[in-house]
Amino acid sequence: MQTPSKSTKNRLRFVLGGIIFVGLLLAVRLVQLQIFKSEELKKGALEQWTRAIDIKSQRGIIYDRKGKKLAVSVTAYTVWATPAEIKEPKDTAKQIASVLDMDEELVYEKITKNVSTEKIKQWVTKEEATELRKLNIRGVAVVDDNKRYYPYGNFAAYILGFTDIDNNGLYGVEKTYNKYLTGIPGKWVKTTDAANRQLPYDGEKIYDATDGYSIVLTIDETIQHFAEKAAYQAYLENKAKNVSIIVMEPFSGDVLALANKNDYDPNNPREPLDKNVKEEWEKLSQEELQKKWFEMWRNFAINDIYEPGSTFKMVVAAAALEENPDIINSHYYCNGSVRDIKGVVLNCTSKHGSQTFSEAIHNSCNVALVNIGRQLGKEKLLEYIKAFGFGENSGIDLNGEQKGIVPSGPETIKEVNLATMSYGHGIAVTPIQIINSLSTISNGGNLLKPRLVKEIIDSEGNSIKSFESEVRRKVISEQTSKTMLNILRGVVEEGSGKRAYIPGYRVGGKTGTAQKIIDGRYAPGKYIASFAAVAPTDDPKIVVLVVIDEPSGSYYGGTIAGPVIKSVMEDTLNYLEVEPIYDKKDEEEIEKKITVPDVRNKPIGEGGKELADLGLKYITEYQEISADSIIVDQFPLPGVEVIKGSIIDLYLNKRTQIERLMPDLIGKTNEGVVSILDDLGIQYELKGNGKAIRQEPEPGVQINEDVKIFVEFSSQ
Amino acid sequence: MQKSKKSKKSKRGSSDFLLLVSIIALVFIGIVMVFSASWPEAMVEKDDGYFFLRKQLISAIIGSVAMVFFMNFDYRRLKKLSLPIYILSLISGLLIFSPLGSTRKGARRWINLGFTTFMPSDAIKVGSVIFFAAFLANKKDKVRSFKEGVIPALLYMGLSCGLIYLQKDLGTTITLAATMVGMFFISGMKLGLLFVFGAAGALVLYLSSRGEGNEFRANRWTSFLDPFKDKLNTGWQAVQSLYALGSGGLFGLGLGKSRQKFFYIPEAYNDFIFSIIGEELGLIGSLIVLLLFIIVIWRGILIALKTEDLFGCYLASGIVALIAIQSLINIAVVTSSIPTTGITLPFISYGGTSLLFYMSAVGILLNISRYAKLDRS
Repeated sequence: MQTPSKSTKNRLRFVLGGIIFVGLLLAVRLVQLQIFKSEELKKGALEQWTRAIDIKSQRGIIYDRKGKKLAVSVTAYTVWATPAEIKEPKDTAKQIASVLDMDEELVYEKITKNVSTEKIKQWVTKEEATELRKLNIRGVAVVDDNKRYYPYGNFAAYILGFTDIDNNGLYGVEKTYNKYLTGIPGKWVKTTDAANRQLPYDGEKIYDATDGYSIVLTIDETIQHFAEKAAYQAYLENKAKNVSIIVMEPFSGDVLALANKNDYDPNNPREPLDKNVKEEWEKLSQEELQKKWFEMWRNFAINDIYEPGSTFKMVVAAAALEENPDIINSHYYCNGSVRDIKGVVLNCTSKHGSQTFSEAIHNSCNVALVNIGRQLGKEKLLEYIKAFGFGENSGIDLNGEQKGIVPSGPETIKEVNLATMSYGHGIAVTPIQIINSLSTISNGGNLLKPRLVKEIIDSEGNSIKSFESEVRRKVISEQTSKTMLNILRGVVEEGSGKRAYIPGYRVGGKTGTAQKIIDGRYAPGKYIASFAAVAPTDDPKIVVLVVIDEPSGSYYGGTIAGPVIKSVMEDTLNYLEVEPIYDKKDEEEIEKKITVPDVRNKPIGEGGKELADLGLKYITEYQEISADSIIVDQFPLPGVEVIKGSIIDLYLNKRTQIERLMPDLIGKTNEGVVSILDDLGIQYELKGNGKAIRQEPEPGVQINEDVKIFVEFSSQ
Repeated sequence: MQKSKKSKKSKRGSSDFLLLVSIIALVFIGIVMVFSASWPEAMVEKDDGYFFLRKQLISAIIGSVAMVFFMNFDYRRLKKLSLPIYILSLISGLLIFSPLGSTRKGARRWINLGFTTFMPSDAIKVGSVIFFAAFLANKKDKVRSFKEGVIPALLYMGLSCGLIYLQKDLGTTITLAATMVGMFFISGMKLGLLFVFGAAGALVLYLSSRGEGNEFRANRWTSFLDPFKDKLNTGWQAVQSLYALGSGGLFGLGLGKSRQKFFYIPEAYNDFIFSIIGEELGLIGSLIVLLLFIIVIWRGILIALKTEDLFGCYLASGIVALIAIQSLINIAVVTSSIPTTGITLPFISYGGTSLLFYMSAVGILLNISRYAKLDRS
């Protein structure tokens, strides 16, 4: 018999020992994995089992100061697919595509993606949602979602801003208060298999979302409407690039309205409102389109700077009065220009002759302002400019505010700078800074932080946080404030701001016209007309600023911005139930009806006197007129009954007035040519840089308003 | 020899009880775990959660019949039948390359018999063990001779393993090669040959992970070193297996409650069923299964030790070696202790052919135990 040898048995025992040893090693390995590394591995496993889907929180409401809802979240429906659960993607895609009016292939692509969940379409209509739910397709879910909705459309767009599709604020208070508005999103946690199907255990856990807080603006929806309406009208009438209107309460710094036109609809922020523009945009590349969008979303009132021109004179005047109240008794003589600065001639709008301090402001006399500026001195002037908040952020709760440009220190202010700054040139400001400085002048001298948001409240209306008016500093005294208000009232009643006069409401203000600076140089033919006003001057309730950017045709602040101020002021003061107080003059004017005479075909001097004798005021498109300009048309027409003090628009035919000769421009620099041509008040076109080499028409030719002047420059 | 055979026959006792109970326990655990681990795939692919359970139950019943048959079939008769058995098993292996061969997941490892499929590598494993045991027993001391022992032994090893390697089944190739080397070792081969085998094995492993079509094996080496580095690709299986074991912890998630079987571990009822055991039954469950295998191996080697018959000793050793090597490699793979290689866990993983042949082999082992001088506690 063959029996296993001893060596065989030994080797068998050895093998048994080896196997038991390996078995022990494996046991140790199991202990290591299942006990010591268990937590770590479990974590990794859990991560791959669990899928968390965000549950959106309801975004808070944006209210106006009276509780009107300006931005709300409405229920919308979003269609989601769970690709793993869709059995017949072809048929499913067809069904979904027909209900949602989508491309079948696109739907197919989405529902066959290798992902846990895929969004098929966001924000479908209620009808579509209901229909889709009825079909009850496995793997397709219609989820309640919320969507930002701005019930008034393109209303207060630049205050509200808008959100992206995930409800994050991108512009306006939607952005600056995003953190309060969004709330805390919830989570929907479920465990899934490797193909993203729900696992049969654990169920799902839902952590509810916390809704966002609501915010209450200082904006008054009604006043905002007045501003929007007036801005839109001015935008159309002047074919302007932009019209911006801000209404503020001087004592609290509350922004009651802020409107910019042209604007956009935050419900659809990427589409221009104008159909023609929309068509134009369709041809643009993505890059160009983005540029256009950013341009459209710019809030002119705080994001753009401009040269304020004459509106800035109120700041200089206030500064001068604060430094020396007796200056009010000073007299200033204007002979039409300032010629004592070497190499520069600074022109005035006309030869104003001798004027008091107040009259100089009423006349908006540059020569007088230069002298007032000199009396102040550059250190004091700069000090006040800064004190009034220029060159720094106003602190309004909107993004991208500009600081403007003011000289960094007195040493950088040369003689000519001091002179031009005194009448608002060579300095850049934002509209919000200008209106804020008028607030300061009106409220007794306190520079405030403009307030846009009054309060943050929860969904039950409990206050979470309220914002108080914030005084940044005291700039001028009560007395200076009062004096200034009187002077500004004079501007409207007797000076360049007549068009903003409202009987009974004692409006004060200052007009301004400035040439635009584009790329660091004055852009010919492009102006910014503005008007800052306050009413009533004896107890200021509101301040209003109107800025008309690049108007076509007339560009004088008093002429084109004045009526806008009047419209907004009158509406707002009525709405705020500010009792009109008619003085004797006003009452007489109101009681007495006057029949408008026919002044057509008469020289302006004669016609104007006729109107003045009857107690009517008149206004013409041009400031530089001579007494023999012929009136070609008038409005209202003759025979219409108007109240005393009404303004008659007179249209002059300049052609027949002065025969002007085309000046010789050859060899002059750009700046020289611009200043000469601006004085002529005729449209012109410039080409090139350097010295003028060619001009049309030829020198000496008789020219009139209709002539188009063309000058070509060359640097050689 | 004839004489002794007769005398042994009269001494036939009862089978080794502990071995039998352990095997029944393993097969039972296998059925339960195949059911649990296959449920998700069965529901999704077959729309019938009991699909794999039913097939495994049928296989277990057939396997049990085969086991009982071999428990009572005098193993010594296998010695005479060893050559035909071997040839039959080799032919079945060759059938893979006939039109009957069927390919799954890129590997041609099955024969389609119409009513069922059959995995010839399982037949080759058992057939080779029986034949090799007979060969070694016949050679007796001549196994040490180079010409009469080593050359033919190498030839048979090459034949058996080569046929399996052709099926791109490296795991089984290693199992069988190691088993046969083990048998050769026990039969008294020269120790120096171990180095030769070691070197040859290393060479085969190296060559098998080189060249076109074998990149997957090279990846397994790199992903073994740090499976988490590329856990979505080459490291996927190893990482998923570790996640399963780790999330099981000490007590497990509870029977049927594995998450990893939901397609994180591909074919969880197959090669990686041990990690599902670890996940559902915890360290306690996985150690019990490991312990059962150790008991089976211990009892098997004990049977080999106590068998007076050389063929019985070699046959028992071979069967134990098969079980030991395959189960330990599988557990080592699942615990990421060695690089991934596709190999099932005997008695537990899903698969009819495997269960049938392993249970038959255990039947033979139990039959041998009836002639061994065992202390049947």
